[in-house]
Amino acid sequence: MDGLKLFAGLLLPWLFGMAVLAAGLRARNPLDAPGEFAWIAGAGYLAGAFLSTLWMRALSLAGVPFGILAIGAPLLAATLAAGYFAGRRDSRRLPRAALAALRALVSPPGLEGTARLAWRLLFAWIVLRFILLGFEVWWQPLYPWDAWIQWATKARVWYELGRIVPFARADAWFAADGAAYFDASPNYPPTAPLLQVWACIVLGRWDDALMNWPWWQIAVALAFAVYGALRTLGMSALGALVVAYLVASLPLANVHVALAGYADLPMAAYYTCAVLALLRWAAARDLRDAALVALLALACTQVKVPGLAWALTLVPGVIVVLLPRLGLKIAAAGLGAAIFLLTVLAQTSTKILGYRLHLDFEPAWQALGESYFLLGNWNLLWYGVLAAAVLAWRQLLSPTLVPLTVIVAAGVVFLFVVFGFTNASAWVTDRTTVNRATLHFAPVAAIFAALAFRAFALRWADSRALAAVPAP
Amino acid sequence: MAHPDEPQRPLTNAAADDAPGVASAGHPSLEALAVFVFALAVCVVGYLAVAAPGPWFPNVSQKGWAARELTLARGAGTLERGELVLAANDGAGGALVTVETDIRSADFRAIAWEATDVPEQADVRLVWRSDYAPGKLNSTPIAVASGRLLPTLVSSNPNWVGRIRGLALAVNGPLPRRMRIRGVVAKPLGAAEVAGDRVREWLAFEGFTGTSINSITGGADVQDLPLPVLTAAAVALAALAWLGLARYRARAASLPAGLAILFVAAWLLQDARWMWDLARQARVTARTYAGLGWRDKHLAAEDGPLFAFIENVRAKLPAEPARVFMSADEHYFRGRGAYHLYPHNVFYEPYRNAIPASSRLRSGDYFVVYQRRGVQYDAAAQKLRWDGGEPIAADLLLNVPGAALFRIR
Repeated sequence: MDGLKLFAGLLLPWLFGMAVLAAGLRARNPLDAPGEFAWIAGAGYLAGAFLSTLWMRALSLAGVPFGILAIGAPLLAATLAAGYFAGRRDSRRLPRAALAALRALVSPPGLEGTARLAWRLLFAWIVLRFILLGFEVWWQPLYPWDAWIQWATKARVWYELGRIVPFARADAWFAADGAAYFDASPNYPPTAPLLQVWACIVLGRWDDALMNWPWWQIAVALAFAVYGALRTLGMSALGALVVAYLVASLPLANVHVALAGYADLPMAAYYTCAVLALLRWAAARDLRDAALVALLALACTQVKVPGLAWALTLVPGVIVVLLPRLGLKIAAAGLGAAIFLLTVLAQTSTKILGYRLHLDFEPAWQALGESYFLLGNWNLLWYGVLAAAVLAWRQLLSPTLVPLTVIVAAGVVFLFVVFGFTNASAWVTDRTTVNRATLHFAPVAAIFAALAFRAFALRWADSRALAAVPAP
Repeated sequence: MAHPDEPQRPLTNAAADDAPGVASAGHPSLEALAVFVFALAVCVVGYLAVAAPGPWFPNVSQKGWAARELTLARGAGTLERGELVLAANDGAGGALVTVETDIRSADFRAIAWEATDVPEQADVRLVWRSDYAPGKLNSTPIAVASGRLLPTLVSSNPNWVGRIRGLALAVNGPLPRRMRIRGVVAKPLGAAEVAGDRVREWLAFEGFTGTSINSITGGADVQDLPLPVLTAAAVALAALAWLGLARYRARAASLPAGLAILFVAAWLLQDARWMWDLARQARVTARTYAGLGWRDKHLAAEDGPLFAFIENVRAKLPAEPARVFMSADEHYFRGRGAYHLYPHNVFYEPYRNAIPASSRLRSGDYFVVYQRRGVQYDAAAQKLRWDGGEPIAADLLLNVPGAALFRIR
């Protein structure tokens, strides 16, 4: 019975997000277009889950206590309304697209022989992984350190009290005389704990193992979103599945599902989907994709404190899309100005987003290299990213790739500044933070490598084709 | 859909797939896989040429001595569950562990002490004596990595001659915590042995620990050849081979497809190792928690005794959230105890072992002590004090060995 309740309750934000995105589709992008359904399934969960937490925050502000009806009924009504709207506009395509998407899982159109066999094996391999991770989520009570000193602390209090109550630092806690709560990071945003609260509400009790299913959902949704977005951007079915597999099989990302409770995986998923939505917007200039970028960027800021910085790395990408001719220069100038500003601020020991800047440039290259290239955290991701960037260096600034290139460059600069110029450099050496901060960026890096490699492959094919044309 | 600045063109990989050369090449996947396997084999052989410089097929097999065969010649320690456990000390005198041996130095090229919890800064040395100069003690430093001792290559040491009559492990300097020694192995360093060691390191079970959320090793804590390095080298070599083959056969157009297959094959190889680890971890988790309810899971967890104590504390607390101060020497217990106490309004010091001054507590607050030194209760006067501070009036509500609950009056 628990399983059924949980399944239904956790499916609701997923369906809600999917219905909202489906309702917002335009005719040019029908549901049965390659990858569209998978994109809606992936980005839909992330959007739906975030919007659900916004609704919970609104309820709390209005003084309405949390409950299945207060949270679930409006979500269900909105899901039905959006679904009805999407179905009425596209009544023939909706069921057909859903069926086609399911059928494509085992027998993708356009693939035959070895390619189809490879698809099926790879798909089964991905499913097996999520089954194993599901076991961990089902059985393992809340385990990792930060999860129980700064995230689930809020979830427990808000679930039991039925509303969001403030958490405060020590002095403010004493001054509040019982009106505020305390934990190790009272300033952290509420999205991740609210996802856990909703799981407990549908269960009807506190359970710090089962409340972590949203982490599993996020990982699955991320795989769907990567596959769907790359398909809609024109990648082949097998190619898109391979990239989705690379993202889904990042070992440290898997650990963050199995030992759920940190906000780093949600941060990675929201950031990655924001980047993918931006790439879709760059390709099709659909304002609804732009709206999704804005929503997911907002979600980034509400998942983790560094989410603001990650959201800002999208800005150069937006600039080069809006201003194709001048954008690159503006983005480069902005990036340079940001680095200059940080260098100036570093002389004052300013604290930004919890990181204390200082002028000493002491990157722990050896520890960083070990974490990226020798240990098991990232499989071969960073080898692949470097190789793809080198192979595709002539295409990195091509119109199709440049938005992603400048976003990746901004992300690299952000990580470089954090680990090179701030007190976080010490966390590289002891490996407490370096990989978790990198996790936010790793799926985007994988997508960058894939798209850069595709650009290289296209150029290679073009050059071979030209060489094959006999001279007049 | 193309970018507005670009001419319309297909973005699918069909462009690459349909390019001249690829179609005529058929499916390059099997060829690419074969090249990858070949490159991997070449890399392994190349590694063995460096790591096993002696005879690849020696006449002797490795020889080991278990902890029970070791003698603690200096220092304090006990034999526990097949391990010689050296007691923590302040460095006075150090520790010396010896074993009688009778092996030919020429047969064994390396000595590996199997030890864990070795202090990173410790001065650890391998000591031996031989029948060539029985009165002379020879020694060489042993490298420490991740709390373990790395194998020591002795074959190039000029004093590694004759028959080795005794081996010893000397630990100089303080031992801040107990150090565990499982035994010592003399290794001939044949190719099969070295390769076997590497495979065992890659496939060693890496269960989830408190640090897994930050970093995972990918097998054994210490690895002489990390698998990512080997597979990346194999991909690079295979890519070069593939390029050469493609040019030789005038099928250069298949290069991108070949590269992609090589990379994915290497990724899959590493991922198979990781999935095997995940499967073993799922089995361990199932043994501990499967079929248990939420409370029973916590009782079965590593902090089960703390959880049980906090359950008793909660039974004494009012139904409405109260202010509760949690104290413990270990910050794990402070934080974990506080976590189990929510939704009561808990306060604790997450990052240092301290308790607020008694003047900051008020009547009706609760005070939880769990394995914390420096907290005293005068039952007669019903006064509680900690860390030599001012006493405060309090009632003892729960008292079990090492832990208690008080209500401030």
